[in-house]
Amino acid sequence: MPESLRLNPSTGTPLYLQLVERLKHAIATGAIKAGDQLPSVRKMAEELLINPNTVVRAYRDLEHEGILDLRHGSGVFVRDSVVSRSRLMNKAEPVVRSAIDRLESFDLSEEEIRRLFENDLAHRRTARQSRKRHA
Amino acid sequence: MPDSVIEIARLSRAFGTKKALDDVSLSVPRGSVFGLVGENGAGKSTLIKHILGLWRAQAGTVSVFGADPVLQPAAVLRRIGYLSEQPDLADWMRVDELLRYTSAFYPNWDPAYAESLRAQFGLDPRARVATLSKGQRAKLGLLAAQAHRPDLLLLDEPSSGLDPIVRRDILEAIIRAVADDGRTVLFSSHLLDEVERVSDHLAMLHQGRLILCAPLDQIKARHSRVVLRFATPQARPPAMTGAVFLNGGDRHWTAICDSSRIAAPIAFGAMGASIVEESPASLDEIFLAHAG
Repeated sequence: MPESLRLNPSTGTPLYLQLVERLKHAIATGAIKAGDQLPSVRKMAEELLINPNTVVRAYRDLEHEGILDLRHGSGVFVRDSVVSRSRLMNKAEPVVRSAIDRLESFDLSEEEIRRLFENDLAHRRTARQSRKRHA
Repeated sequence: MPDSVIEIARLSRAFGTKKALDDVSLSVPRGSVFGLVGENGAGKSTLIKHILGLWRAQAGTVSVFGADPVLQPAAVLRRIGYLSEQPDLADWMRVDELLRYTSAFYPNWDPAYAESLRAQFGLDPRARVATLSKGQRAKLGLLAAQAHRPDLLLLDEPSSGLDPIVRRDILEAIIRAVADDGRTVLFSSHLLDEVERVSDHLAMLHQGRLILCAPLDQIKARHSRVVLRFATPQARPPAMTGAVFLNGGDRHWTAICDSSRIAAPIAFGAMGASIVEESPASLDEIFLAHAG
């Protein structure tokens, strides 16, 4: 597992966010399954060579999102309800496919389509963050 | 007042006319991994030597575990594990002899822990120190610095010039030190990648001055990389507080912004530029923006 979770400090994205994204991806693709136990904070920190607080922060974020269950003393588990998330992902796939079909009909390149998606997501992210900051 | 292990207030030190440390104040919280960054000659080692009590403050104060390391060296040093860039090890000893010799200085030396580290690092107990490779030397230095389970681990450029495998051992030792029992680590490095990995606090020194000192989260959250499009081509974008232009040309320029000093959209809008993209800045970029 650690191979696929490898983090890269030089991209600028905070490491806890990278870890959150990697874990979500691993769950969405089925590499990590509902009910699976994740490594302890200390073990994960040593494997990935990151500060233990970074792991704590990522685990807490995922707990708030209802993805992980932090059971005091007994470990970190992927919630069963997460399976419904991956079912949602399956449902979303055709939506994305038809959107991309339409974009391709505008004669946009793969790179342009990717940029459009990423820009829109980035805008939403900054909007969310500034809302959070002003809240 | 947070619980801190090191308190430095208005510390200055000059060598001749060169100011090696210029009015530096910082505190290192207990249980933190405190990364000290800066170019060669920025004052990192000078600061560490003051913490060890090897040098007396010319101006200002240094307090470690609440004591002055110059006046009470024994009380302070017993609780510190120190590893320098070039560990000073007795070349004529064997590895096992060196460890026995070192253990005599520390009442808290843990022989079982020392032995497990020795095995983990693959150090031959019968090898002469003089015959060890640079990487093995660093591992032996690391072992000797932590087998007494110090409350404070001080590492001065520990991974400089070492291969990735030994660097990994050093980073693991840092992580284990804080994860195990909330010990404190202060380490200096010019490798910003590894500092970002393991630190939770960061201090940046530049020409003897402390130009940034805060929790790493805050530093990351405050800074962003902004790509701008100007209405008209710019030979050089106008200077402004809180934004440093790293590169670009013509209408497109990339700036690193410090949101504690500039409200980016407003400031750039006022000078006829729009933001094309905003993303998190890397520590390298943040350092360049502040030290440039």
